[in-house]
Amino acid sequence: MHISEGVLSAPVLATGAALTAAGCGIGLKKLDYDRVPQVALLTSAFFVASLIHVPIGPSSVHLVLNGLLGLLLGWPAFPAILIALFLQALLFQFGGITTLGVNAFNMAFPAIICSYLFAYAVKGKNNVISMGAAFACGFLAILLGCLMVALSLALTGDPFVGIAKVVVVAHLPVMIIEGLITLFSAGFLKKLKPELLGAVHAKR
Amino acid sequence: MPKDSPLKKGWPSRATWPSVIFLILVIFVSASYTFAHRVVLFAYVEGDKVFTESYFSDGKRCQDSRIEVFDSLGNKLLEGKTDKNGEFSFNPPKKTDLRIVLTASMGHKDEYTIPSGELGGEAGGSSPGSESHKAAKKVFGAENGSSPRQLTPREVEQIRTVVEEILDEKLKPVMRLLSKPQAEGISFVQVMGGIGFIFGIMGIILYFRSRRGR
Repeated sequence: MHISEGVLSAPVLATGAALTAAGCGIGLKKLDYDRVPQVALLTSAFFVASLIHVPIGPSSVHLVLNGLLGLLLGWPAFPAILIALFLQALLFQFGGITTLGVNAFNMAFPAIICSYLFAYAVKGKNNVISMGAAFACGFLAILLGCLMVALSLALTGDPFVGIAKVVVVAHLPVMIIEGLITLFSAGFLKKLKPELLGAVHAKR
Repeated sequence: MPKDSPLKKGWPSRATWPSVIFLILVIFVSASYTFAHRVVLFAYVEGDKVFTESYFSDGKRCQDSRIEVFDSLGNKLLEGKTDKNGEFSFNPPKKTDLRIVLTASMGHKDEYTIPSGELGGEAGGSSPGSESHKAAKKVFGAENGSSPRQLTPREVEQIRTVVEEILDEKLKPVMRLLSKPQAEGISFVQVMGGIGFIFGIMGIILYFRSRRGR
């Protein structure tokens, strides 16, 4: 879901960059320095996730992991995703430097939304609800990401519904896979290190 | 934010590492064998036709994607769609630098420029009777040995066409290789480099943090 250079109009690019800058500002402010290593690890996870190609369906899609980042990091997912996308653009030529702001916002904003929606539920005592929420978090983060991509493209002139359909259908397998990945990661962490999940949106 | 020593009871405790390492490992093992996501367009000239091929960087062909061709001034010359194999070919309407732009689904885009010099064929090639022509006649005359027979212009023209055809055919794979951008291989080194970069940033942040803390 990396939008290439030269596709979007300048106002869309500028808006994306501004929103990402704001998100990163909040993210850095909320970043507890004790959790820097965790942020770095998840940044690398996001960075390599885009190399995992999902061979289902007609189009070429890959893992994103933004739901997992949102769930485990909260707001610091913003700078994490920005750095990972920057490196992907630099090393793999995915997306581009000018579209960095838009791409980062498209992936990070759903991550934040999902973290607010599901982080508490995932932390909860009830295992079924907790795991269901984790799956929904991974699933919805991709779905919202698709809609964000469609919206950015639509703002440059293409019809929204048409693109949204294409992007969402192409990413359906990814949504399910990411839901499962988020579910298993959350389950794993909950058993091993529940305070990791509790750190997000915790009052300090 | 707690001001006392962060590492005492903070996050990076021993119990956490296995989980995170496991996560990274899972991702890594599968990552080394796959390629991912961008589109690549490349084009080459054969005869008086321009051939284009487009694919995602995992090798999947971009089907039914829009191809637009612009001249050096940015005027659109023609437009078309790629076929099932991600291929599209066209006859350039005039001899100019061709900028070919591929727009695939979901905001993927790539472009490729063919300089006007590569567009051969009738439009700009050497006309009969030019320097090379005379040279060719001489060579043929000399190699025939004892009785140097002058080739008629028509014969020379025929030889020229046949040679050009064969050369085009033989050079096709080479041209493809040459014009194919080195996009496909994402090397292990790049992946490691990126991860190293991320941890480098982490190190810097923690370094300044630790200096401030003392």
